Amino acid sequence: MQKKLNRKYFLFIVPAIFMVVAFKFFPIGNAFRLCLYDWDGFSPEMKFTGFENFKVLVKDQYFWKALKATLCYAFGITIVKNIVGLALGLFVNKEFKGRGAVRAIVYLPIMISGFIMGQIMYYFYQYDGGIFNELLGKLGIEPIYFMQTGNRTILVVILTTSILHIGSTMLTYLAGLQRIPNELKESCRLDGANKWNEFIHITLPLLQPSIISSVILNLIASFKIYDIIGAMGAGGPDGASSSLTQLISKYYFSQFRAGYGATIAFVFFFIIVVIAWPINKYLNSKKVEF
Amino acid sequence: MRKKKGFRVWILLVAVFVCFVAMWPLYELLNLSVRDISDYSSRLAFPEVIKLSNFKDAFMNKQVWIGFKNSFIYASLTILLEVVIGSMAGYGLSRGSKRTTKSIKSVQMLIMMVPGVVTLVGTYALMTKLGLTNSLFALALLTAAGGIPSCSFIYMNFINSIPVALDEAARIDGANVTNTFFRIILPQLTPITITRSIMIAIGAWNNYLMPLYLINNANKQPIILVIRSAFAMVGGDRNLAMACATCTIGILPVIVVYCILQKRIIASQIGSSIKG
Repeated sequence: MQKKLNRKYFLFIVPAIFMVVAFKFFPIGNAFRLCLYDWDGFSPEMKFTGFENFKVLVKDQYFWKALKATLCYAFGITIVKNIVGLALGLFVNKEFKGRGAVRAIVYLPIMISGFIMGQIMYYFYQYDGGIFNELLGKLGIEPIYFMQTGNRTILVVILTTSILHIGSTMLTYLAGLQRIPNELKESCRLDGANKWNEFIHITLPLLQPSIISSVILNLIASFKIYDIIGAMGAGGPDGASSSLTQLISKYYFSQFRAGYGATIAFVFFFIIVVIAWPINKYLNSKKVEF
Repeated sequence: MRKKKGFRVWILLVAVFVCFVAMWPLYELLNLSVRDISDYSSRLAFPEVIKLSNFKDAFMNKQVWIGFKNSFIYASLTILLEVVIGSMAGYGLSRGSKRTTKSIKSVQMLIMMVPGVVTLVGTYALMTKLGLTNSLFALALLTAAGGIPSCSFIYMNFINSIPVALDEAARIDGANVTNTFFRIILPQLTPITITRSIMIAIGAWNNYLMPLYLINNANKQPIILVIRSAFAMVGGDRNLAMACATCTIGILPVIVVYCILQKRIIASQIGSSIKG
């Protein structure tokens, strides 16, 4: 009876499985197939070249630059977001009037497309007449090139993205903080611990589930960074601050090197799995119970 | 007593600073959108002459309305696909064999690691071949597929809290599994369905990467692409104000929905991260 029922219940999952197979697994398989071809993306002829694309990839300086930038983005954003997000989570967990409004306002920029936020930030970082350079000018400092400068641009993008998208991380930590039983804090205080000790020995260990999910989700999301970068005008010089997603779409859609673009896409997915999967496993193995 | 007061001032200062940082970009967007073309004054202060006619001009632009219509269709289709398929899967995962659920859950993380660009690159050729480019339905399919895994698990967590006894009672009354789900369980899911729908709609409204490459017919463009072309026409800052006004109008629905439902959205975000 239960077995028969289980089969019926499984039928409910089938459409979802179909969607995932059709639009997640199939594309990966197809990207891998395209890796083996020299193809422009639209013509009916595809030239089979074996692993030639991978050989090109190893020697492609743009791939290595984009990989470096993407790794910087992914880890940089994850680190900044988790530190600032935790601080903000602690802050909005305090009891004060209007904290609901503060939460809502900090979360607001996430509701707006990354492309639009990036486009607005572009006018902050413009060299000529940009808002930040105007401010610097008022302080008597020479204008700075923020964009198209490689490492500085990477730093600017990390900070901007982290701060604009801090709301979700803040809420993740807030959720974790609200789950910590008050008795634990009270007994800690009765034992004579100060605020700092309480934070290190009670709050932080009990926040572990939030830290795990926040780190891993932010890491995966930051690898995929795309719209905000392009709109902000980052990418240069000569590809030094462009992300892998940007590079893939450039090769596939603008330069009509679909086979090669697919090669990078496939390698990109592989890199995410190789980096994020062990981190996920490691973090989950340390889970605490309370 | 005095110390307590100082403490409060500290909180107020941080709160104001944090809100300022979050709102600054939007303030600048508004600031730039009410300027005259020839207004090159400081961008920090609000312009002296406020030109509201920019908004009127943006509203008169037919393309903006086409964009609204397409974004609305795109968002609705995505909601329909994701909520129906996701809630069904959530029910199956919650009530079905635990072994199946566990094995599906273990690949969920892997699915989440697939970047949108891989989905796009891997399906683009097929989409072109099947004539599915410039189709809002195809766009919705791709978007929904990205959201279905997490959507299913959110529903699963919610359905787990509904007693199985309810299903059993329905079965004794002669309802089959399908009827039980659609008649008994689904109505109970209304609160979560509403918040999910809002989040999906906002996600679709904001999606940029997929429409950018899948839609090139001007009549099928969602609003984000209309905003994009408005900014692309700015060129040497010639009519920045117009582009900013278009952009403001384009994000207005999102902001209005957010202002009305922010309590619910925030609560659902907190709730989903507890269970996740």
